[in-house]
Amino acid sequence: MRFVDEFRDPELGRAVAAEILSLVEPGRHYKIMEVCGGHTHSIYKYGVDDLLPANVELVHGPGCPVCVIPMGRVDDGIAVARQEGVIFTCFGDMMRVPGAEGSLLEAKAAGADIRMVYSPLDALRIAKQNPDREVVFFAIGFETTAPSTALTLKRARAEGVTNFSCMCSHVTIVPPLRALLESPDLRLDGFIGPGHVATVVGARPFEFIPADYGKPVVVAGFEPLDILQSVGMILRQLRDGRCEVENQYKRVVPYEGNLRALQVMAEVFELRPHFEWRGLGFISHSGLRLSEAYAELDAERRFAVPGVRVADPKACQCGEVLKGVIKPWECKVFGTACTPERPIGTCMVSSEGACAAYYNYGRFAREREVV
Amino acid sequence: MSPGAEVITLIQGGDEDALSCGSQHCITCGDDGVPMTVVALDPGRGLALCAGESGRSSVETALVEPVEVGDRLLVHAGTAIARLEAR
Repeated sequence: MRFVDEFRDPELGRAVAAEILSLVEPGRHYKIMEVCGGHTHSIYKYGVDDLLPANVELVHGPGCPVCVIPMGRVDDGIAVARQEGVIFTCFGDMMRVPGAEGSLLEAKAAGADIRMVYSPLDALRIAKQNPDREVVFFAIGFETTAPSTALTLKRARAEGVTNFSCMCSHVTIVPPLRALLESPDLRLDGFIGPGHVATVVGARPFEFIPADYGKPVVVAGFEPLDILQSVGMILRQLRDGRCEVENQYKRVVPYEGNLRALQVMAEVFELRPHFEWRGLGFISHSGLRLSEAYAELDAERRFAVPGVRVADPKACQCGEVLKGVIKPWECKVFGTACTPERPIGTCMVSSEGACAAYYNYGRFAREREVV
Repeated sequence: MSPGAEVITLIQGGDEDALSCGSQHCITCGDDGVPMTVVALDPGRGLALCAGESGRSSVETALVEPVEVGDRLLVHAGTAIARLEAR
């Protein structure tokens, strides 16, 4: 398929891998964080890390929107879903995320009307088909997904659908990156930037990383060659003593982003003063809620939401995994008590989660020799 | 049925089975985009019927207008977020 096949060519992959080998200094250990869960998934699906020199380590960042949802937020969703007359809609992976009182899937089994949707537009369609019910869409995701929710809310208003509302848990990518860069636990050499978030916000918002922290950023596509090439671009910047934002994914990402998407987000959403991230705690101005102009479509104003904070299970080390401090297989419950079938932590739920990617592609333990 | 009618059918009442997630990869949950081709347009409602590897679905096109039949779009959560073309 056009735009796909040419980025999975094994010969080209080997050529880029050879170039990467020529760029690394023997004896130096490189730590490169891929911010986005989509990249984590691709790296293990295609075995990209096996093509890298042993002294180039990929660290998995907090960019899986399911993985960063705290348990209390799941409980809030279940509380809304259990209310009389409510049809609660959410994306598939969200249904398996455990809260303190079980998951949305378990609440569905116990009788709540919870339905999986592929898009906010599907949730709006359910609202139109069920005018005597209240349909709530549980919105999660980074800036990639937020415009879709915003457009659906505008459409709901334009079409006069009054039984539709949104429980907004959208998050933004820059504040957690800044929090990670401020973290004393972590030493990183560069970042593989999130390609599809950048499709919306552009590459410009990542300029603070080289400017304030002196680290290179390469916005990357999701095919194996995209990721390999981006690692090469970061290593070349390091070798040349440069540090800047480069755009490897130019075929999709305009440097300034999608201005229409940014406009519709600015109209429908506003920043929350703070939002809780699993493993990272409360981060200022990192979450979105509906603006005053769209208050009547805000499920948190329409329904009673408990808003209780729940501590993560003690055995779970998702926080350290999300910060890249430990590898998934270093977690005490990885692959034993915590599996994709019965996840304890969110990183094991979504296929974009680092733990699920390691588990599904057989990375149960890994010792690599450093050249 | 004309392609336009198919768009309306998809938008007004779809197949519930089409809402099931694949076991490997949930396209809407991750920061994931799917390349799709425009098959038919419903310009009055800002929607297009698009075809991709996983089948056909109606797609919001407000962020990438104007679109024409045959255009290649990057679709995420039912919304086209970018056009796929050589830059």
